[in-house]
This record gives sequence, structure tokens and C-alpha cells, in this order.
Amino acid sequence: MTRSILLVLACVAGSLLAQSVPDLSGVWVMRGSTDLPGVLPYRLEALKLWQERKANLTKDDPATYCLPNGVVRMTSLPYKIVQTPKLVVLLSEGNTHSFRRFFLDGRAHNLDLEPNSWTGDSTGKWEGDTLVVDTIGFNDRSWLDDTGKPHSDQLHVIERYRRPEAGRLEIRYTIEDSKFLTGPYSFTRTLVPANREIQERFCTEQNHLAGK
Amino acid sequence: MNKNYLGWAVSLAAASLMLALAWTSATAQVQIQVTGKVITPPGAPKGLPPSGPKGPVPRMPDGKPDFSGIWNGQRALPNQEPPVMLPWAEKITAERTNNYSADDPEARCLPGGVPRAAPYHYQLVQTPKLLLMLVEGNIHTYRQIFLDRREHLKITEPLWYGDSIGSWDGDTLVVDTVGFNDKFWFDMAGHPHTTQLHVVERYHRRDFGNLEIGITIEDPGTYSKPWVIQRVSSLETGIEMSEYVCNENNSDVLHLVGK
Repeated sequence: MTRSILLVLACVAGSLLAQSVPDLSGVWVMRGSTDLPGVLPYRLEALKLWQERKANLTKDDPATYCLPNGVVRMTSLPYKIVQTPKLVVLLSEGNTHSFRRFFLDGRAHNLDLEPNSWTGDSTGKWEGDTLVVDTIGFNDRSWLDDTGKPHSDQLHVIERYRRPEAGRLEIRYTIEDSKFLTGPYSFTRTLVPANREIQERFCTEQNHLAGK
Repeated sequence: MNKNYLGWAVSLAAASLMLALAWTSATAQVQIQVTGKVITPPGAPKGLPPSGPKGPVPRMPDGKPDFSGIWNGQRALPNQEPPVMLPWAEKITAERTNNYSADDPEARCLPGGVPRAAPYHYQLVQTPKLLLMLVEGNIHTYRQIFLDRREHLKITEPLWYGDSIGSWDGDTLVVDTVGFNDKFWFDMAGHPHTTQLHVVERYHRRDFGNLEIGITIEDPGTYSKPWVIQRVSSLETGIEMSEYVCNENNSDVLHLVGK
């Protein structure tokens, strides 16, 4: 009898524990500059590419052609997090009005379908109160920020999402890129509630090159 | 990356060619007549999808059906009633069809709107407050169906996907959408609508692997009576959605779903 009560209690505690991850869901907007802070430890080839893009007045910016921003580059428009136990979705209002999916079902990275994509393949797991999202499988076409900071197809992004208080979402980024960087680069973004729902905004409609 | 106008012209030419080819096969599939009369409800790939896996309907903690999963493109059941159009709609549909659908907004990477069926997959993600529809293509975007409010928003600027609210009728989710712009086509034939459009979709997960969607299109500015369409999707297992980037225009053919 006592044993079965204990078993029931253990199950209840177990399921409570399983559910007791922070709720990151909501509509969030970045605070501060969208440009990456500090200095990236670029190799010479990558530095040259960045300088070319800047000298070129960023005229080849993929975003201008309504192509995806990728993962690291974010806009100052809101993002929405939709959270379920096995899947977290990040919706973007701006850029291509698209989405990223973080798979929390324990799967390993799978690049069979698409070895190189704009947003890569993202797996996630909870480490305490932090959602750790690991992404590989990038193409080399997206920019890391509006200034044209480049990356190669060896880009590896680790995002650590935490919500230290109800009104604040922090994302700690660690970026590795064996081709373009001499070592890892880290920075933290802070997002706050947007206090509105995400709105419909389609790049192609506003793009004079593609809209006709 | 370094796209110039020549590049765009070449892309446009290539896209037009593909569109023409796609149209040719689509017309063969859905039997659109150039008069604008539709024999088979258009917009979806030919034939029914393979039946999805059997099993009980997954449920949310509150007992409601859980629609979450990756579904293949919605396909119309055979032998359905064609729409009854007002004369202007009849005329413009015939014009668009005769023009090889060359002006289809979807072919320009604009959103498909509601209830256009694409041959691509879509993923439903359900929470108690939201049914999220992630669409692989034509553009890789999303649609939100709000389950936590009963009233439509006041729409000041008409939308491609409108304002969707869902409520439960037993195990069926009834999705009511208004607030549309008049820019998108319902299908490749070019069936039009006005901003008076009101779409009701009834989502019913018949069993584990099969989703039934009953659609009622009301638009007194275009159709003289509601246009009712029955569609089905089946669950895709062991497959992931790809990152389909329409503006890249690099993988259309790979993602066309044949019979």
C-alpha cells in the first residue's frame, strides 16, 4: 500500500518535473542594435569579404531580395515564440515572415534532406532553465548582421534562451566557424515583450523587383 | 547572389516557362476548361493522397483533438460542385485561365492566401490557445489560427491570410476567417474574390493519419451561392519539411508532388 502511494507520488513528481520548464512563449522584440557587438575573430579571407560588402554599400544584401536572414541576423521587428514540449517555433514578422523550428524530441541533426540551408537544422534541449539550441547545416549566403558580416557553410550556432524574469528574454549566442573564425565568438541579446501580436508583412509584396 | 536585371529577366523567363509547363500538367490533371468552367475542383494535386496511418486520434491534455503533425498538401475529393460565379468573375477566371495563369501572384512568391491548396507539406502545431500552420511553400511562411478569442479583430488593412479564429464543434475545429485582401487567387485557374470574402474551414482528424477539411467560401461580391469544397490531407511520417525559399527559385521541380 505504502509502496504504491509512493509510486504514485513519484510519478506525479516526475511529471511535474518534466513539465516544469520555463515558458518562453510570447511576442518579443529586440532591445538595442541589431548589429553584432565587439570584434569577430575573423580570418583574413573573411575580413576581406566583409570589407568588400561594406565598400559595396551592402548592395548585394540577400534581405533586399527577400531572401532569408538566416539565424544570427535578426530584425528590430517582433518575433513570436510558440512552445510545445517537443517543438519550439520562432516566428518572424520581418524579413521573409518565416519561421524556424527547434526540435526538442531528442533527434540528432539530420542534414540528409538539406545539407546547406539558410536557417540550418536546429535541435534543442533544456539545461535547467535554459533552452539550448544547436544549429548546423548552413549555406554561406546569409549575413550575420546588416553590415554584411560573413560566415561560411561551417557555421555552428549555439543559442541559449532564458527568461530571467517575465518581461525579459535573453539569448546568449556562441558562434563557431572553422573556415572563417579563428575561435568562438559570443554575445548576448536582450528581448522584451512587444505588447502586440505579430503582424502580416510580406517582403515580396514590398519589393519593387519581385512584386510585379 | 549578385542579381542584376539580366539575371531577373532570365529568372522570369525560366519561371514563365516552368509556369507554362506546370499549367499544362495542371490542366491535364484537374481538367480546367478554358471557358472558366471547372469540372473538378481545382487547386490541389491530382488524386487523393495515400491513406495515412491508422490509429486513435491524439488528444490535447484537455481532451480536444491534437492536429499537430506534418500533413501533405490538401487535395480535393472528386466530383464536387463547381462554383457559381457572378458574370464578372466568370469572365476574369476565363481570362486568367486563357492567359496560362501568367499573372498568378503565387508564381511571384506572394502568399497563397486562404483556402488555396499547395502541393507542398504543411505542419500544424497546436497549443490550447493557438493552431499554427507552418507552410513549406509556395512561400515558407505561417498562418495563425487563434483559439483564445471569439471575436474578429478590426482589420484596417486587408490581409493575405485574414484574421482566423477557431472554435470547437465537438471534435471538429471550425475556423472562421475574414479580413482578406482581394489579391490572391483561389487556384491556378484564377478564381477570384473580393474583400467581402468569408471562409469557414472545418478541420476534422478522422483518425491518426487522416485529416478532413470542409471549406465554405462565401463572397457575395463574386459567387452567387457559397462554394463548398471537401479536401483531405494525410499525415506524413518519417519526412521533414524542407526550407523552401520561393525567392531563390532553385528547387521548384524537386518539390512538385506528382502522382
